[in-house]
Amino acid sequence: MDNGMENMLDMYLFETNSLLEQLDEVLLDAESADTFTTDSVNEIFRIMHTIKGSSAMMEFSSLMTIAHRIEDLFFFIRENTIDSIDEEHKKELFNLMFFSTDMLRAEVEKLENNEPLTSNVDSFVEKVNSFLNKISNKTDETETAKKEGENDQKSENCSTELPQDGSGAFLKVTFDEGCGMENLRAFMLVTSIKDIYENLTFYPSDVETNPDTAAVIIEKGFLLGFDTKQTLETALNIVQSSGNVQSYEILMPPQAEQEDNVPAAKENEPVAQNHIDATPAPKVQAPTPNIQPSAPNTNVTHVGANKQSLISVNLSKLDKLMMLMGELVITESMVTSSPELQGLKLDNFTKSARQLRKLTDDLQDTVMSIRMIPVAGAFQKMNRIVRDMSKSLNKNVRLTIIGEDTEVDKTIVDSIGDPIMHMVRNSMDHGIEETVEERIRAGKNPQGEIILSAEHTGSEVIITIQDDGKGADPVKILEKARRNGILTKPESEYSQKEILALLMAPGFSTNEQVTEYSGRGVGMDVVKKNIEKIAGTVTITSELGKGMCTTMKIPLTMAIVDGMEVSVGKSIFTIPISDIKQSFKITPEEIIYDAQGQEIVKRMDNFYPIIRVHRLYNIDTEITNLEDGILVWVGEGDKSYCLFVDELMGEQQVVVKPLPSYLSTYNIKKSGIAGCTILGDGNISIILDIATLHHNTSDYAY
Amino acid sequence: MTEEFNEMDMERSQALNVEIKEEPKKFLTFLSDGLTFAIDATNVGEIITNYSITIVPNVPSFIKGIINLRGQIIPIIDIRERMHKMPLEGTDTSCIIVLDIDSTSIGIFVDAVSHVVDIYESNISAMPPNSSQELVKGMMSLSKEQVILFLDCELLLQ
Repeated sequence: MDNGMENMLDMYLFETNSLLEQLDEVLLDAESADTFTTDSVNEIFRIMHTIKGSSAMMEFSSLMTIAHRIEDLFFFIRENTIDSIDEEHKKELFNLMFFSTDMLRAEVEKLENNEPLTSNVDSFVEKVNSFLNKISNKTDETETAKKEGENDQKSENCSTELPQDGSGAFLKVTFDEGCGMENLRAFMLVTSIKDIYENLTFYPSDVETNPDTAAVIIEKGFLLGFDTKQTLETALNIVQSSGNVQSYEILMPPQAEQEDNVPAAKENEPVAQNHIDATPAPKVQAPTPNIQPSAPNTNVTHVGANKQSLISVNLSKLDKLMMLMGELVITESMVTSSPELQGLKLDNFTKSARQLRKLTDDLQDTVMSIRMIPVAGAFQKMNRIVRDMSKSLNKNVRLTIIGEDTEVDKTIVDSIGDPIMHMVRNSMDHGIEETVEERIRAGKNPQGEIILSAEHTGSEVIITIQDDGKGADPVKILEKARRNGILTKPESEYSQKEILALLMAPGFSTNEQVTEYSGRGVGMDVVKKNIEKIAGTVTITSELGKGMCTTMKIPLTMAIVDGMEVSVGKSIFTIPISDIKQSFKITPEEIIYDAQGQEIVKRMDNFYPIIRVHRLYNIDTEITNLEDGILVWVGEGDKSYCLFVDELMGEQQVVVKPLPSYLSTYNIKKSGIAGCTILGDGNISIILDIATLHHNTSDYAY
Repeated sequence: MTEEFNEMDMERSQALNVEIKEEPKKFLTFLSDGLTFAIDATNVGEIITNYSITIVPNVPSFIKGIINLRGQIIPIIDIRERMHKMPLEGTDTSCIIVLDIDSTSIGIFVDAVSHVVDIYESNISAMPPNSSQELVKGMMSLSKEQVILFLDCELLLQ
């Protein structure tokens, strides 16, 4: 039971969160268009309806009340069309809507953190009510009356819209005995049917507001009215799949009695009941064969479009799968490269081993792809931040999003959310000029722009946050850094790159004042830390007066890499294959020495330094002559160099394991070590991090 | 030897703690460079004798490297070097004690493991104030010649 509740809650949270995200999108779209379209009004109405229904089901009263009030509001707007609201009020409406989504979100967050919900939402209800009053005063008084009499009217509707043309059909639903909250269950049913069929009528019609109707439903069942028999058949599917529905009956009022049926809904029932006998095989358990085949088809096209092929899975299961996958890869190489097999000629074994390798590769790709989700989720949230900050800082800024479909590992999406938010806030707060005049004077578009983009490059994903604001002033940065005492060498020795890197030093913030959004001096170094946690790097480029660009490079997967095993003395190191350009032997004639005695080699018309791993890491080895070992040319661009190792041992897929946290106190990351991995024979190999290894070589005594 | 410990403990504790009933705690004692050390047995995960240490570059020399213990990567510290003495050469008796301290696993490389003893914590005296001995939080004398030094596991992690 407990477990069931937990699952329900999970489902509820998942559903509500995605609805709220949808809502945000609709609102932002609507705001940029400056008005609500009929579609968006309906959409909001529907979202609120669902949230209200499911919240009521879970007995989260604050959420239910908030959603209910908004629903009322949009019911009014739907009835009177958006044009009845003037510009002034529209603005207020937008703010009210954003405020209410925030409230809903805050409540949902509380649920997620197991905190008690707000018990009193009166002030919010008050707000909506006063707004509702304001806009309703504008409109016809009869309209207001209509609104107030909503419930009565609905029941009237129920009776008047009933099958006057004689083609109508009824469905009488009975719920499980003692399931409780029948009225809300009935309402949930109505909501889900309304998704596919708008003109649904039902009785009792005030199920959502009047708990007393539960008794009526228990006693007499819940009546659903449809225009045609076809729509009823479509809805049957939903009824069948709903929980707690004990049985239902299809009631077909014959044409002759239509006229008499009209008066009141209450009278409908006995009449309808009379027809049960007249309708052949009305019970669910034995649906007429010609109903069945048509029903699922229509249903799929309506509801299934975006739901049918998706399932939600607990992330911990995926993590487990991923972990097992890693173990499988290790074990596979343990088996196929077992030392006992060495020197044996095993054709069949080799063939099967190759097959196995291919399968594990495929499996691994699939497992990885399961965890891949588009960055859109993290990006879309920025819309809202830009919107809110534009308002409160009184800046006109638009957000351009590029490549939101780029897929990355779920853990990456989760960990880039905060850093991106920090950077966008920074750009909004410090980057974009304070006033439009300032921008015009600088010859820029009065509207500021922040570009958020994501793209894949081979093994990493690159995320950039770019603004066209005033950029970072190196003089000011230096001055600030000096005041904060974070300079480590004379100011004149700092290069542009190093100055910008100061921005990410702990305790640095260029803004003089702490604002609501940024400037506590923790922002940038937190960004750096968070990105480094997922093995990524952050770089800032900036040109004074033109803007600033933050680039985050994050490896796509952190778990499994293709590596080349190399030996140095008794140690084995793994170099990621993606970093290797070439490996080659060298003759003494090819070695060039510079003034410091640094060994250099020429490759493809460029010169590259040779870094002896045994010297760098102080490892005893017999191979110290360059011509006895082998050179591995690694790296990119200005970080390219040749590593001198004893021997290449072969290629292997390895699972990256982090080094024990105890060792990280010794700054092990800085010495070019990315992690370690367990080899097939149970030994450990250290994985080299080519980029930081290069960094490290500046201290390397050649 | 063990019995001797216990008897002595009992006598001492009876003499010192007549009123206070105190449960003895289990400690594992080991030898390192002629000294006897003790660690709280609750911190001891296991003792391994069969290992192959992978050297980690650019770390202080007392970190011997890392080992693979059933898929878990564990750093190994040479207790001798940690105490600024000559490094330990592997011998027949030398082994690794794997400690679990605050859910962190760490291995210490020692000359030899002796045995598990019951010790009343109230019998442990503090270190002399000016002692430059590192990582030790208390000591207790066993006999005229022998002293047990109690290792501070938390300090070991720092």
